[in-house]
Amino acid sequence: MSPFTDDELKQKVQDGYMVEGPEDMTEGYRKALVVQLTVQADTELMSAPSYWMAARYAPSTNTQVSAHAIIQDELAHANIAYRLLEDIGESKEHLVYGRQPHEFKHPYGFDQPLDNWAELVVATGFFDRAGITLLTDVHENTSYAPLKRALVKIGMEETFHLRHGEVWMRRLSKAGGEAKEMVQRAVDWMFPMTIEWFGLPDDMKRHSGQLDYRLKGLTNDQLRQVWMSATVPLCEQLGLHVPAHWDAEREAYVLDYPFPCQYDAVDKHWAFDEGEISWDAVFERWKGRGPMNEIYVESVQRSRLDVARWLDGKAAA
Amino acid sequence: MREIVYDVFARKGRGDQLVHIGYVDAFDDETAKVYAWKTYDEENWFEMCVVERDAIIPVTNGEGHFAQLKRARDE
Repeated sequence: MSPFTDDELKQKVQDGYMVEGPEDMTEGYRKALVVQLTVQADTELMSAPSYWMAARYAPSTNTQVSAHAIIQDELAHANIAYRLLEDIGESKEHLVYGRQPHEFKHPYGFDQPLDNWAELVVATGFFDRAGITLLTDVHENTSYAPLKRALVKIGMEETFHLRHGEVWMRRLSKAGGEAKEMVQRAVDWMFPMTIEWFGLPDDMKRHSGQLDYRLKGLTNDQLRQVWMSATVPLCEQLGLHVPAHWDAEREAYVLDYPFPCQYDAVDKHWAFDEGEISWDAVFERWKGRGPMNEIYVESVQRSRLDVARWLDGKAAA
Repeated sequence: MREIVYDVFARKGRGDQLVHIGYVDAFDDETAKVYAWKTYDEENWFEMCVVERDAIIPVTNGEGHFAQLKRARDE
């Protein structure tokens, strides 16, 4: 256990102290890190079945390869994050195979079906951009040294995913016609989905300790702005409509729709016309999880018990 | 399905430092080699090795990552 009190550790990490392992941590630090790493690991893990089921829409053998390369990377990133969790006293076995689908901590976006190639490429363009935004901030600011080191590899690979998504968004948009319409339809539901991903606005944020322990550097609203500063100009350049614009007076990107608002997961439609809803209603929707939650988790857990039983039988014989 | 932790070390090119790049969980040395090669494929490594974590002997008995993990295991 840490030789420091919680307040001393908070001060030390703000002064640049790097935590190397469990002995350096207070219980408060460990708990905050477990929450952060669990969200990270679950997000990487659940992106895999989401992308994997959509990879069947790849239009060529080359794109099949690149889509599966992305999936392979995501699974490797998940594995690394669960290993980091194991090193601070959590069980990877329980986290991956022992939890119910609704207990996973990934964002609601990875509970949604990706129904065509345009949706897969916008997902890698938007969701992986969100991943890079969040993880770059962690890489630059985290006080947990093993995570900082692990993020070198992860950052390199997420950049490839993003490039793949954006190149294809550009290609389909430039083609016009149905190709562009399909991208626009994907953007229409995925843009607000990613905006919501960054969580509560700063003026409502409950104190999580992640900034105090220097597990991240930027606030939710700052991260949302970073994501929009790349995504909005890209979409504008491609002639795609997004419900946000640069406000020169406020020197910030501003949303053109009530935020947060309700989402119809069956029709993939945001109810802008119904106005703003409370964040409690958003949390309620997240807690209920999305239409693919059980299918995605089941696809990851499916074979584990069967094969473990075969192996046990063999060992007994 | 018990797995063993292996640490992964690699050098980018001839003359570079061998550095710790990550870890894999595997059943044995052979699967550890495969998992390491497939997991850490972000570079065209000149050299890569895996070491069972239990075989790593921290020389400094201090605050380093491996020393802390070893003490946690020994407790």
